[in-house]
Amino acid sequence: MRRISRCKIVLPVIVLIVLAGGFLAAGGQEEKARQQVLNFALQGNPDTLDPHKTAGTLTFQTLKSVYDTLVEPDMEGRLVPALAEKWDISPDGLSWTFTLRRDVVFHNGDKLTSKDVKATFDRIMNKETASPKAADYKAVQSVEAPEDYTVVFRLSVPNSPLLATLASGWSAVLPKSLIDAGHDFANKPVGTGPFRLTEWVRDSRVTLVKNPDYWMKGLPKLDGVNIHIITEQTVMIQALLGGQIDAAYRIDSKDVPTLEQNPNTKVDTKLSAMNLVMSINCSRTPLSDLRVRQAINHAIDKQQVLDVVYGGGKVIGTFMDYGNPYYKDFAALYPYNPNRARQLLREAGVGPDRVFELFLPQNYELHVKAGEMYQAMLTQVGLNVQIRMIDWSTWISDVYSKSNYDLTVIGHTGKLDPDGILGGYGVAARRYVRWENPRAAELIVKAATVSGFEERRKLYDEVLELMAREVPFMYLGTPYEYNGLRNNVVEFRMTPNLDTFDFRWTELR
Amino acid sequence: MARTRSLSAGRTSTAGRLLFVAVALIIILGAAAAAAPWISPFDPTVQNLEARFQPPGRTYLLGTDNFGRDVFSRIIHGSRSALLVGIVSVSIAVTIGMIVGLSAGLGGPWTDQALMLVMDGLLSFPTILLAITVVSFLGYGLTQVMLAIGIIYSPVFARLVRAETLSIKTEGYVEASRCLGTPILKIVVRHIVPNLLGRVVVQCSITFALSVVIEASLSFLGLGTQPPTPSWGLMLKDSRNYLAQAPWMALYPGVAVALTVLSFNIVGDSLSETINPRLQKR
Repeated sequence: MRRISRCKIVLPVIVLIVLAGGFLAAGGQEEKARQQVLNFALQGNPDTLDPHKTAGTLTFQTLKSVYDTLVEPDMEGRLVPALAEKWDISPDGLSWTFTLRRDVVFHNGDKLTSKDVKATFDRIMNKETASPKAADYKAVQSVEAPEDYTVVFRLSVPNSPLLATLASGWSAVLPKSLIDAGHDFANKPVGTGPFRLTEWVRDSRVTLVKNPDYWMKGLPKLDGVNIHIITEQTVMIQALLGGQIDAAYRIDSKDVPTLEQNPNTKVDTKLSAMNLVMSINCSRTPLSDLRVRQAINHAIDKQQVLDVVYGGGKVIGTFMDYGNPYYKDFAALYPYNPNRARQLLREAGVGPDRVFELFLPQNYELHVKAGEMYQAMLTQVGLNVQIRMIDWSTWISDVYSKSNYDLTVIGHTGKLDPDGILGGYGVAARRYVRWENPRAAELIVKAATVSGFEERRKLYDEVLELMAREVPFMYLGTPYEYNGLRNNVVEFRMTPNLDTFDFRWTELR
Repeated sequence: MARTRSLSAGRTSTAGRLLFVAVALIIILGAAAAAAPWISPFDPTVQNLEARFQPPGRTYLLGTDNFGRDVFSRIIHGSRSALLVGIVSVSIAVTIGMIVGLSAGLGGPWTDQALMLVMDGLLSFPTILLAITVVSFLGYGLTQVMLAIGIIYSPVFARLVRAETLSIKTEGYVEASRCLGTPILKIVVRHIVPNLLGRVVVQCSITFALSVVIEASLSFLGLGTQPPTPSWGLMLKDSRNYLAQAPWMALYPGVAVALTVLSFNIVGDSLSETINPRLQKR
């Protein structure tokens, strides 16, 4: 009897607690919805937040929301006005005049004028800044600010890729007053963008808050974005399923079915702008022998690697991403054919006594996995390949800068202009594959001075064919890209070819 | 009285059985490592992409991994890395520890102080952190890992050898030998080393277990064994992304590490009980 009465008291109490909890949770969700804060998961930490001192994609992805550029790519990849409302290029191509918008205000209250733009590009081109992207501006002789809202770029030679450079994250416009004051842009960015950055806790989170004075009226739609740095895929997926985060950039293909089956989540699939390759050091014997490089290309079952490691994609046969308007298909040139590979190696006289070192950047798990597959496939055709894991900074300094390697696996990210992808190739000293081809080098230089898509494409077609035939890389392909989203996220936009997120139109419903 | 005796007898027999199992496991491990190429059903590095993520079954005893490699074969071959690392790094640690410990114990107060300061300095670092530091200086790879583990565990041996040396050198027979004019090196070889060897062997067994864990940890972090060479730590690292899909990829290498470490610890414990009369039960 007493037991039953205790039950009678305990049960309603539990029910009450559960209900109260439910209401509280619901209240919290309502609050969240009203606040419109997007919780976003990023896989890594930006190295710095100074857009002029890095080449790191993570930095530009974070800063896209904080800074603006003179022009920007729209969703089709066309370059459209941003901070500059219009621009004129003189007939000789040597003088570019930009007219700035008059209603742009920096986060610190400064009004944007031509002085800020001049100070910005002077900073980028200053040797002391040591911008890794400085070469992009080599055609620019000077930047002038004749009037408050007019900026003139003086060029030494015509340079078509410059417009795309001006639309890229590394051309972010900073306020002159803070540049002069030596402001700490590496930690505290101040721009004109749709969001202000209020907090960056390294390896943990970046907090963005809406800029109410943004020059695009009615944007951004979100009140803020919390970027959570989550390096573990498994944790990221669980957080997405559990609702702690609303959107995750680049999820593993193996998690796609899980998210598609869950009623609360969806997957946004598109072709990336990435060139996945195994780079070959053409200056080392016997890799300088074209037959050996051809053999390496024949030895790899490309579609298989794309499917198993990178979650599917399109096989490419030259150094241009599949979705690029300049792409030309040479995928049939060196199909998977281990026997042909063995034969070529026999002709070249390469046996198992020569050890090839395959350097893998330890922090890129997918490239490491691909490297393991390449190693196995190359072993099948009789090459002696040994894997060497290295950290990212060693990869940059030894492999990329000094070409101290035989083979390496990497993905080249997309660029707005084909010159960003091809510039420098053909000159052995300038690119880490050490591929020497004067004809290709000449065409690449020429294409940068020519304007007009059709005219440039003719030149690039020939370059791409040379690169396809002489294979300074084992071209794998362009992978699909999967972004994981909660169902209530709409207009999650990615800037084509730059792989940056554009949160301006994003909403939570 | 009879009750107590039977209890203690029971305990001894449990410990004995445990020791038997541990020794048996170590022998199996050694045999597996020695005969790996002949007893593993598949080549541990050959990828069979048609057979990815096969659950444990008749063909693949412990399933296959993300490249269709046989987990069982990889565990067998992985025992080679584990044992190799254990043997080499313990040897390095013992060598350094012996030299340093003997010098400190037999040298003057200044030598003693200086050497022990360095050793204590090394000891004060968390093991894994120190291992990562050493490996990042030496470069990634199995050789580097063995060297790193050897360096890290040398202070343990140095302290042990020094303490034993200090107590042994005051023993009557050592003093007597000294008075007779026996050269110091001969005293070390004849009297000191044989007397401290027992303790060192016990410590070896425990350090062996620890070094297996460190090798697995460093490989897990991608700093140790280089793929495609099979290593338990590397297998655990690979399994991380497929926990839901292929739990066997994580389970079996984990079990292998756990059993190995446990066996060496049990052997170490029982050795130390046999050698140390104070711990010995009547």
